[in-house]
Amino acid sequence: MTAATDTLSLTFAALADPTRRAILERLTRGAATVNELAAPFAMSQPAISKHLKVLEKAGLITRGRQAQARPAELNAQQLELVTRWLEKTRTHWEESFDKLDSYLATLQDTPPDPQTPTPPRRKK
Amino acid sequence: MSKMTITANGAELYLERTFTAPRDKVWAAFTDCEHLKHWWGPNGWDLTHCTMDFREGGRWHYCMSGKDENGETMESWGLQVFESISAPERFSGTDVFADKDGNAAPGMPVAQLAMEFVEVEGGTKIIGRTTYSTAEELKAIMEMGVEQGITETWDRLEALLAK
Repeated sequence: MTAATDTLSLTFAALADPTRRAILERLTRGAATVNELAAPFAMSQPAISKHLKVLEKAGLITRGRQAQARPAELNAQQLELVTRWLEKTRTHWEESFDKLDSYLATLQDTPPDPQTPTPPRRKK
Repeated sequence: MSKMTITANGAELYLERTFTAPRDKVWAAFTDCEHLKHWWGPNGWDLTHCTMDFREGGRWHYCMSGKDENGETMESWGLQVFESISAPERFSGTDVFADKDGNAAPGMPVAQLAMEFVEVEGGTKIIGRTTYSTAEELKAIMEMGVEQGITETWDRLEALLAK
């Protein structure tokens, strides 16, 4: 297991929650403090902070280090990682299937005729 | 030759492709190492290890070897455990990252895999469904809006899943 794929599963878990997705969407419009993020959600600040912790652990956001506000900011690279992973899955199937297509064609060069009985096995 | 369809439907990755070969051949290609080594894996990756115990409850343990961007050899071990088999129509099971001893990698997403083989005019259609354990994860990334700064990523993601 590589560090990259481990982070990926954290990222997927983080993205599975609708509130966290909404927070990320808000952050695509720029950095925001916990106060600003809590406003549209009718959620307590501690609840929002909890979500931010999950997002931060998954690498999807970074937090400022200024004492009180600690504005959160989107980390687009992490989303890039998810995209790349999906791309990899797609490539795997697409290219495998291309190879399978060619391979099946070679198999059919010597098709057994279903109408005639199987010939006796040739001795080596 | 028909090209592959791949779409994200909720947490399910759906893929479909038709091959101009009889179903028993396509089925065999998926269930026998002697066939799998000829095609399994993306370009540049070879199936370097393959042990197949194709029965319900049986396992397929495999390794793909390839080179990364820097030319370093990379290995990717996988493990499929078959849950139900109905030859030559469908099989299903789980697919996980594994180590070389066949242990599933802890903490990794477990994919639920279902492959269907349908006889169609002139060939065989394969329908593959991969569902990830973290519910909604594919949907989640699809649902997020396209916004400034990450537009390119989203565009690529959409292109990826729309084909």
